[in-house]
Amino acid sequence: MSFENGSPSTAWRRFRDSYFLYRLQRDRRAQICLLLFGLLMIGLLLTPWIAPSNPYDLAQINLLDSELPPFWIAGSEPGHPLGTDAQGRDLLSTMLYGARVSLAIGFGAVLVQSLLGTVLGLLAGYRGGVVDALLMRLADIQLSFSTLMMAIVVGAVVKAAFGGAFYGDYGVAILITIIGLSEWPQYARTVRASVLAEKRKEYVEAARVLGFSSYRIMWRHILPNTLSPILVLSTVQIANAIMAEAALSFLGLGMPETKPSLGSLIKSGFDYLQSGSWWITLLPGLFLVLLVLVVNLLGDWLRDTMNPRLYKG
Amino acid sequence: MIFFLMRRLLQAVAVMFVISVIGFAIQDGLGDPVRQLLGPTATDAESTALRHSLGLDRPLWMQYLDFAGDAVKLNFGDSYFFHEPALDVIARYLPATLELVAASAMITLLLSVPVGIFCAIRPRSWLSRGLMGLSLIGISVPVFLSAMVLIQLFSIGIQVTLFPTGTGWGQWLNQLLSIQGGMPAYGRGNPVHVWGVWYTNFASWQGLLYLLLPALSLAFVMLPLFVRLIHAEMLEVLESDYVKYARARGLRPSRIYFLHALKNTLLPVVTLGGVQIGTLVAYTLLTETVFQWPGAGLMFLDAIERADMPLIVAYLMVVGLIFVVTNTLVDLLYRGLNPRVTLSGRAA
Amino acid sequence: MRLTTFLLGLMVGGLLMPLSTGAALADDSPITLRVAYDTDPVSLDIHEQLSIGMLQLSHLAFDPLVRWNRELDFEPRLATRWEQLDDTTMRFHLRHGVTFHSGNAFTARDVVWTLRRLQRSPDFRAIFAPISRVEAVDAFTVDLETRQPYPLLLNLATYIFPMDSQFYSGTSGGGLDKSDIVKNGNSFASGHLSGTGPFEVVKRQPGARIEFERFPNYWDTDSPGNVERLVMTPIAENATRVAALLSGDVDFISPVPFNAVQRLRHAEGVKLVTMPGTRITMLQLNEQRVAAFRDRRVRLAFAYAVNQTAIAERLLKGFATPAAQMSPQGYEGHVPTLIPRHDLARARELMREAGYGDGFSVTLMAPNNRYVNDAQTAQVALAIAAMLAKINVTVEFETLPKNQYWAEYDNRAADMMMMGWYSDTGDSANFFEYLTFCPDAETGAGQYNASEYCNPRIDALVKRANLTMRPAARARLLQQAEQEIHDDAPFIPLYWQNLAWAAADRVEIAPVLNVMNMPYLGDVVVQPR
Repeated sequence: MSFENGSPSTAWRRFRDSYFLYRLQRDRRAQICLLLFGLLMIGLLLTPWIAPSNPYDLAQINLLDSELPPFWIAGSEPGHPLGTDAQGRDLLSTMLYGARVSLAIGFGAVLVQSLLGTVLGLLAGYRGGVVDALLMRLADIQLSFSTLMMAIVVGAVVKAAFGGAFYGDYGVAILITIIGLSEWPQYARTVRASVLAEKRKEYVEAARVLGFSSYRIMWRHILPNTLSPILVLSTVQIANAIMAEAALSFLGLGMPETKPSLGSLIKSGFDYLQSGSWWITLLPGLFLVLLVLVVNLLGDWLRDTMNPRLYKG
Repeated sequence: MIFFLMRRLLQAVAVMFVISVIGFAIQDGLGDPVRQLLGPTATDAESTALRHSLGLDRPLWMQYLDFAGDAVKLNFGDSYFFHEPALDVIARYLPATLELVAASAMITLLLSVPVGIFCAIRPRSWLSRGLMGLSLIGISVPVFLSAMVLIQLFSIGIQVTLFPTGTGWGQWLNQLLSIQGGMPAYGRGNPVHVWGVWYTNFASWQGLLYLLLPALSLAFVMLPLFVRLIHAEMLEVLESDYVKYARARGLRPSRIYFLHALKNTLLPVVTLGGVQIGTLVAYTLLTETVFQWPGAGLMFLDAIERADMPLIVAYLMVVGLIFVVTNTLVDLLYRGLNPRVTLSGRAA
Repeated sequence: MRLTTFLLGLMVGGLLMPLSTGAALADDSPITLRVAYDTDPVSLDIHEQLSIGMLQLSHLAFDPLVRWNRELDFEPRLATRWEQLDDTTMRFHLRHGVTFHSGNAFTARDVVWTLRRLQRSPDFRAIFAPISRVEAVDAFTVDLETRQPYPLLLNLATYIFPMDSQFYSGTSGGGLDKSDIVKNGNSFASGHLSGTGPFEVVKRQPGARIEFERFPNYWDTDSPGNVERLVMTPIAENATRVAALLSGDVDFISPVPFNAVQRLRHAEGVKLVTMPGTRITMLQLNEQRVAAFRDRRVRLAFAYAVNQTAIAERLLKGFATPAAQMSPQGYEGHVPTLIPRHDLARARELMREAGYGDGFSVTLMAPNNRYVNDAQTAQVALAIAAMLAKINVTVEFETLPKNQYWAEYDNRAADMMMMGWYSDTGDSANFFEYLTFCPDAETGAGQYNASEYCNPRIDALVKRANLTMRPAARARLLQQAEQEIHDDAPFIPLYWQNLAWAAADRVEIAPVLNVMNMPYLGDVVVQPR
């Protein structure tokens, strides 16, 4: 392959020739996944325009339409292809809006934990000594608890302390913080491990000899080299964060009835499982599984492709 | 070894300390226990009196010191709701949770080992491809959802009316695809009382029936992970030189698979399993909610609802202890299985 | 693998064990009734707390002077007869030959002693405030005098469970008075019991179980009840309680959660009894917080916008009776013509007339509980928000755990409050006194009037009814009050939640149940196995 000098789109060219794309072209499963993920993303971005109704607009809800079945069961109505929930909300619309909430929380939480974990991991790895020992023991203690347990306790306390209305208004932000705070050690350990590996390398030594500040060395030299494990970890963590949010919502510590995420939809439908309206709870459940599965598969493929050094355990 | 245990003990103490401090910091956040106890009709004088008698009117740090002093003596105070020592309450509820965890750990082991080995030995068969695919999906299914699916399938049942009921074959197909349901999916049933103090679900058919669905749903948390891990480790081991050598020597395949290869996959399985026991305890919060299994998880969520601080703190301490103990045991076991590891924590 | 085989062995071993330990049930075992309620009586002192759990205990171990029957009439118990001496005095003739569990004989002195103690009880003194004087005329005659003419004295008498005055007098070991009432503490009465009731307490483990045996010298020899041993276990988790009945672990459960009703109705070997309940759930519109609620048209618009029938039928699966007034059927104040008035067009028109055609925004709070009976309030609140959205009213709602909810409720923290109320006296006036009377901190009137609505005319009607001794005239006054409240709409009545009990087939439970939710288990007949 020949390189033409002065081409306006070298970035694109670099991407086209990358190993990444090479692998993608050869992996059918990854292609399907990426396609599905893209479709889901587009669907969720366009939700306000493609959803049959707006579940947040209470005026559109009619209790007399409640528990209509999905289209393949007798008694369904064409306006509600996947049926309605116990309140009479269109299930398809509610699910789409709910998935947006779930995904936003997933991304947000991962942003929080990766920022926090990366900074602390860099610090611990680069500085070493007391800082390292302190941070890593803190991580140990936090990891010796299940993160789900942490999130439940913190969620219950926040909800009780600030009241349900506050929780309802800032639910997304609160859940992002809770899940973000309880998972930072994963990142810190991974980043620290790569920093320890990088630190010994000559280019860092050289930078230090040249008199660069340690801040500059960390951000400009070491951090870029830890990006691929962070990226791979992040896909897994997004899936985990979505699941954690669903679990919290299921326990009533997540999104409120008025702005349901997929988890709260599953929860509110559970009461009606016994009366035969299984779709209220199982269809959002299916959607949740699809969402998480696609993210997980992408993560799997990224891991295989980038083959990063991950902290195991 | 002694140093290692000491370090673990220190870590345990640190965990306990952090939890107890957190428990105290959040004390007021969960609502007023006095009001909870007296109900809405209490007068101010009555609540002041009760507040005083519970010691809730003193500075927080004094309350904490008192608490810490008692906690060292394994006294976490009386539950506000049950009017008995918090640890006694937990001791009453914990066995149900541990039985659930034990049963699901058993199911996980009994299913994951054969499935993992099979998929590694016959990687091209449609069955192992299907199973591996399922395990991938399984990772993405939240535990409360698998619990609900189990309830729908085996407790409520499914009436299939997809095929025309007028025809004989339609009816037959409908009936074939329908599921009767009827499995118990709520509560613990009527546990049998054995050995004086132990109420157990393991001692009767009926008890096992009640245990089955909750344990199965909890097992689905770990099952896919285990299957994938055993599968991956087996594949690696089967590629190794000494298995090739054993094959070349003409050893029976079953002996190779189950004795030599499996033994080498045990190490990561034990590690993962140990770490995950703690996680399983955490997930019982969800399983117990769905199945109304009267264990410690349900008790804990109730305690949060009732702002029953002594119980909440004691529960967190006990769970923290379970985590620390299982982690320590796993490390010890790991050492026993793999002599290359020294207990300072790093591979030599 | 070895660990697994070991555990498997344990399992198999466990399976065989019941064979050796199981055959305990002998044929001559006493007829036993095992009961599971949702709550445990917090104490054996029936004056310590006014709660359904304590009243249920009272009916087991004590007898009231009179009690409600299924038709909501009074049935003589420890009082055989009663007569109105004048407008303020009623004379009770007591039953002869009744003995307490301790062996002491029951006399008028015990009734006087019990009433004085009730008037000291923090929970009961408010209900017994109308009584000014109680006097034993002779050993078996008691006069009760009220400050003013008081038509509900017999309703009050259902709360008078005479206690054994001799047994509860004197000082206990610690030098404390045996008659002390101590909340959440250790008093003599909280651990010892002597009543006249059908069952004696044999053993009690707080929070776990209470065992009773039939009192051999029980006075009511006409009672068909044949239960010789009664074991009461609190099972707080709804589903566990249901499962306990289905598995044969207990013979009678109360209450039945609404989402188990369908299952129990079709379950084999079990019967379900339901009745419309008397507990009203309503939505109070706070006029002090929201100026718009001072406009009657806005309040009426809200009342027209809410569809009670849809809530009861759809969300609550028919396990509630839609309400358009406070008094349930059978109460004196009940007006049969008041039925839910859902009419969206009319609601919109009223909002336009009032100048709120574009609506406004309000807050709503509702109690919430993880147990299924109450979890529905969150769903109900959401449904109401959706219904009000159709008249352009934006509802911001939150649901709180009960302990937090009551604090917020006392502060009147939201524009609309969801409230469930049960009339302790079994009478309509109680609803008005607590829920609609002009709030007055001194007298406690309108203590739960979170509408902060004040209509002296309605107060006057109810007060007049409370001085009216003739039932027909009294009913007319209460019905008029109910009608006027309906027309003025300071709150939106939603539904009366149904009551449900379930028992094993061999327990003939239906005859001893009533809408007051006080099963008279002393009279229950159990077919021997």
